[in-house]
Amino acid sequence: MNIKEYISTGILEAYALDEVTPAERLEVESNLSQYPELKEELEAIEKTMEALAVEASVVPDPVVKTKVMDRVEDAKSKTIAMPSTLLWRYATAASVAIALLTSYMAYHYYDKWEVTSFALNDLIAQNQQIAQDYNAVNEKLDKIQNDFSIIENAAFTKVVLSGTENSPESLASVYWNPNSEEVYLSIQNLKELSEANQFQLWAIVDGKPVDAGVFDSNTEGLQRMKPVSGAVAFAVTIEPRGGNLAPTLETMQAMGNLSKG
Amino acid sequence: MIRRLKSKDSASLDYLYDHYSSALYGIISRIISDEDIAEEVLQDVFLKIWNKIDHYDAEKGRLFTWMLNLARNQAIDKTRSREISKAKKTITIDHLVSTDEGQRSNKQYIDSIGLTEVLNKLTEEQKFVVTYLYLKGYTQSELAKEFDIPLGTVKTRLRMAMIELRTQLKVV
Repeated sequence: MNIKEYISTGILEAYALDEVTPAERLEVESNLSQYPELKEELEAIEKTMEALAVEASVVPDPVVKTKVMDRVEDAKSKTIAMPSTLLWRYATAASVAIALLTSYMAYHYYDKWEVTSFALNDLIAQNQQIAQDYNAVNEKLDKIQNDFSIIENAAFTKVVLSGTENSPESLASVYWNPNSEEVYLSIQNLKELSEANQFQLWAIVDGKPVDAGVFDSNTEGLQRMKPVSGAVAFAVTIEPRGGNLAPTLETMQAMGNLSKG
Repeated sequence: MIRRLKSKDSASLDYLYDHYSSALYGIISRIISDEDIAEEVLQDVFLKIWNKIDHYDAEKGRLFTWMLNLARNQAIDKTRSREISKAKKTITIDHLVSTDEGQRSNKQYIDSIGLTEVLNKLTEEQKFVVTYLYLKGYTQSELAKEFDIPLGTVKTRLRMAMIELRTQLKVV
């Protein structure tokens, strides 16, 4: 929790004024027991309230004090001089019964409240999970739609890169737009690499290999690569992570020429 | 002190009255302008402090805060029960401050000039919320509703005012 932000909402001032909802009260009290900074801040607020009240003091008529003390003494003597009659015993029995009943009710409702509160937290957690899943699916769908629009686009030429002698199983495709120079790669089958290595895509331009970017074997869907112009072929090699200036030809995994016409 | 109060030692109430009645009465008498009713509320507040001291939990705040809220709530309840109209409540701040020296001069104010000075150190907005919330017995939601200010703004303004007051009143 960001304590500064929480304090700056003025929630502690509202709490000190006894103007919070029961739910807010629970929240504030639980936070107070967790964060000593909050407790310090509340103390400062309360002291300020006191200082303000002292500043605003008005001395009441002295007769008020006499009245207060008289009423207190009065209430005290009444409590002491309670008659111990049969009625009193009934009253005791009744109050014990009521106390038992209310304790039971309190316990019962506390129990219910606890169960409900757990259930609510559970639902909140589930709800968050669903929202997360929904977002993930949405992102995936966006990517698929995007990929599909490239595959479908007539401006893109598809080049199939088939496995070389090193790795006959390898298969990948390049979608290249000669006009916009955009290059996308799709992996059908490439072997797993260690952390130290990455695949590197090369375009053959004027008989020379040109770097078209590095990628990992676990990429899903289409991956955008570096733009390339005037390519006649594409090839994939294995290079140290981050890529190489020139291809290591012995490691070539797949290659494909542009179909003429 | 609190232990003595809880054990119903009336000497502790005597002490409490001597130390805090003026501060509490300052708040009550600003919310309720009728002196007789204000004094009656002050009596009721001390009786409540005495009777309800077992409800006070030192873990949850200072004793004075608890007493102040009892006084404030009791005074607010009283104005409501007597259906004292809001029109009567909505006098201007200047008027409120000036009543300190003016029409209530029969009462003994300890330091009303100091209060005016302290409040004047605040911005107009801050002075407004402090005056209405602490000295005129408005609740935060009443203030928000009546003056059409978002409740969150009332809260943050009070927060800023309290920070300024902390400095002005030299609260450590």
